Amino acid sequence: MSGIRLADVTAGYGGAPVVRGVDAAAAPGEWLALIGPNGAGKSTLLKVAAGLVPSEGRVSIDGVAIDTMSRRRLSRTVAYVPQIPVIPPGTTVSDYVLLGRNPHIGYWRTESHEDLEVARTEIARLDLAGLADRPIESLSGGERQRAVLARALTQRPAVLLLDEPTTGLDLGHQQQFLESVDELRARLGICVIAAVHDLTLGALYADRLVMLAAGRIVAAGAPREVLTAERVRRVYGADVAMLRDEAGRPIVVPQRNGGQPTKVSTSDPTK
Amino acid sequence: MTDVVVVARARRRPSTALILTAVLLGGAALALGVGPAGVPVRGVVLELLDALPFVNVESGLGERQAAVLWQLRLPRVVLGAIVGGALAIAGGAYQGVFRNPLADPYLLGVAAGAGLGATLAIIGGVASTSPVLPLAAFGGGAVAVVVTYALARLGGSVRTTATLILAGVAVASFFTAAQTFAQQLASDTVREVFAWILGRLTTAGWAEVRLVTPFVLVAMLVLIAHRRHLDVLAVGETEASALGLEVSRVRFWIVLSATLAAAAAVSVAGLIGFVGIVVPHSVRLLAGSSYRAILPLSLLGGAAFLLFADVVARTVLAPSELPIGVVTAFVGAPFFAVILARAGTAR
Amino acid sequence: MRFRLSVLVVMLTLLATACGGDGSGAATTSAATTSAPPPTTSSSPPTTTTAATTEGPTTTSTSDAAAFPATIEFGGAAITIPERPDRIAALSATHVEMLYAIGAGEQLIAGDLFSNYPAKASALEKLDSFNLSVEAVVALEPDLVILSFDPVEAIPALGAVGIPTMLLGTATDLEAVYAQIDALGAATGNVEGAQALIRFTQAEITDIVAAAGDAGAGATYYHETDPFSFYTPNSSSFIGGLYALLGMDNIADAAPDELGSGFPQLSPEFIITADPDYVFLAGVGETAETLAARDGWDTLSALDSGRVFVLDPDVASRWGPRVVDLLRSIADAVTGSIS
Repeated sequence: MSGIRLADVTAGYGGAPVVRGVDAAAAPGEWLALIGPNGAGKSTLLKVAAGLVPSEGRVSIDGVAIDTMSRRRLSRTVAYVPQIPVIPPGTTVSDYVLLGRNPHIGYWRTESHEDLEVARTEIARLDLAGLADRPIESLSGGERQRAVLARALTQRPAVLLLDEPTTGLDLGHQQQFLESVDELRARLGICVIAAVHDLTLGALYADRLVMLAAGRIVAAGAPREVLTAERVRRVYGADVAMLRDEAGRPIVVPQRNGGQPTKVSTSDPTK
Repeated sequence: MTDVVVVARARRRPSTALILTAVLLGGAALALGVGPAGVPVRGVVLELLDALPFVNVESGLGERQAAVLWQLRLPRVVLGAIVGGALAIAGGAYQGVFRNPLADPYLLGVAAGAGLGATLAIIGGVASTSPVLPLAAFGGGAVAVVVTYALARLGGSVRTTATLILAGVAVASFFTAAQTFAQQLASDTVREVFAWILGRLTTAGWAEVRLVTPFVLVAMLVLIAHRRHLDVLAVGETEASALGLEVSRVRFWIVLSATLAAAAAVSVAGLIGFVGIVVPHSVRLLAGSSYRAILPLSLLGGAAFLLFADVVARTVLAPSELPIGVVTAFVGAPFFAVILARAGTAR
Repeated sequence: MRFRLSVLVVMLTLLATACGGDGSGAATTSAATTSAPPPTTSSSPPTTTTAATTEGPTTTSTSDAAAFPATIEFGGAAITIPERPDRIAALSATHVEMLYAIGAGEQLIAGDLFSNYPAKASALEKLDSFNLSVEAVVALEPDLVILSFDPVEAIPALGAVGIPTMLLGTATDLEAVYAQIDALGAATGNVEGAQALIRFTQAEITDIVAAAGDAGAGATYYHETDPFSFYTPNSSSFIGGLYALLGMDNIADAAPDELGSGFPQLSPEFIITADPDYVFLAGVGETAETLAARDGWDTLSALDSGRVFVLDPDVASRWGPRVVDLLRSIADAVTGSIS
């Protein structure tokens, strides 16, 4: 399995750059979470990593720059899951998942038996077997996210790029999704870079956090180092208290009026 | 538990292909048997059988009746099938590549551009049976589709149904006006212009069929080879690129081939509209939204549709002959309205 | 699935049609293979020939019955007619009139939808020359087809089943009319009839012009065929040429005609301002009363002086033998023989 490295990436659309001078890397099996306020450049950074947006600086997979790779080769290594995937009406779930095999199928060819087998495996893995023949627009939000993930997995990537993958999902489905991803990277050694909205969930699952603000890296490192109340207030303009769970992972708790008068115990955050 | 077989075969519906083939053959049979020249059906069958190698039967047809069959009707049926299939597959391909359910060679202005190209070529002295003619039509059609696309992007997005169609209407109007002007300059009567603008399948022997077949064949092969890519394109440019598709290159070849097919059809039959809307959408209803099915089935369906339309055009006001574009418009315009309404509510 | 099936059934039902006619017959066939997509000029038919550029016909013999096989060159194309045609389909009212006038009436089997003169022409089979069905023509088994225009490329198709065709086009002046009459005479074996018609027409025209003297000289006129958009023939058109014989001036000559069509578009303001001495109405249903009823037109001096005349629309739109009648109507109007 491979790792991905972004070095001094500056990119934007049209005039002004949206990310500037960003360095980031994820080793095989590592989970890197991108956090930051809206417009910080998280999505753009992911698209740069996926080779979908051009940038100055260098993006490389195992040392090989991605702009030297053909799109097909890149897509066999890097899978990108957008925040709001396009849902082509009338497409069945199995056809949709099968699209992920495109980089493995010759230009003039059609799916081989192996391609179908891979799709079947991912459909089963993400518990979509019962929905395989249904049109994808008839799926619920959570089911749809699983289908998109299944599609990404059929690419057999080494790197998985997720743009706010839990958007619109309820808490239960958010957890379910993130657990699936966590299990995959443990089992398959995929490295994951995910832009996340919820800081606590990000800290709960990621090995390392990268916090972006206005296109630049503000902090990077282990979650407990990156997430401090002070930093969150400065970057997000939000009033929070920082707690810790038993494993020492930060829990971000929004508060009002500078933290008076509620007292919260670390062992029972539900109080 | 989903079987691998089901995953694979989910999009392939051999039953629809069989139905459409049967409809096509039925249409061909009807078109061959029908017409004011009064060639008896039995004679038609025997005459066709007699043409098979090693088969020798007396059809009982007179020389003139046989000439009607071989020089007028049969080439007309074959031409109708080719033109209908070309327009339908072009429409399906445009719908896939622009991701817009209202894309069609007529509505995108491609047909009008092709008409202008062909008209200018004829005025410039190109023979009506020269292969330069469909190529000139292709040039015009290509310019039209590029202008329509550019206009649509200026006005919003190519995907917005309204924007693309408005751009297409503007381009079509412009090119049709230019073509009419050119024809009048070359002292054509309004009648000739009219006949062209509404389309007709007049054949004199096999010249038209020979002219149009190579272009449609090449275009068709390229489009069919790209069916799978159209399915990938269905998830949009960004995701399709992420899935390993060279979007610009694929779009280029698909638009090029669709335009070639449509232009070749126009260069020989005039402006026949709505085939590229009615047929691919009907096929979608029957066989699902994968382009793997839509493209080849549109070929069959388009051929059948135009054959039936031609039979209607030849018989409904017999002995007068309606321009075939009138028939396709009568069917196609309401169809278009329905698609527009559904697309409007869907997004 | 059921919905999809019912859609298919509905489609099939909508597209189902009734069947056509009946018949039998035989004739010689020859293969022609050219065809042309739309724009062709109305005077040059697309057949493969060694073309001469003469406008007039040339024939290989001069008497009637023994004149066949005949080769006629017209408008840059040559046609060979193997024997005297006796099943002629003329898809133009003007040419139907010409054929009757040269004595070929017995040889005619079909005319177009507007062939109403002479009276017996109404009994001919009718073919729609605008929405022409090639097979409908073939069904009548003609041995010669005469057209004045060919928007659907019927000529190559008829050639493909071995039916000789002649594209005579419209005439732009009297010489062209005589050339067409000559061609028809040669093609139908009525050369003497054609010559007689030409001589007669020429003589009549000469007499009419002489009798009119200079009654029309310098008088301005407006000839209306299109009361909706006012496309008006100027003096370079066929009908304008007739008026010119009487020395009359066409008000439409002052209007721009960049394309040289001979039919510039006028406007009510233009016409009223030009205030022609004479107004001739050739549109169907138009009379001096309807003219006066138009807003603002009642100021025309021609209305006051009683110089608004109605012409027979059929006669005014054709270029056949009744050109004489047309000219006579105009001359009579101008000399005051009619009011």
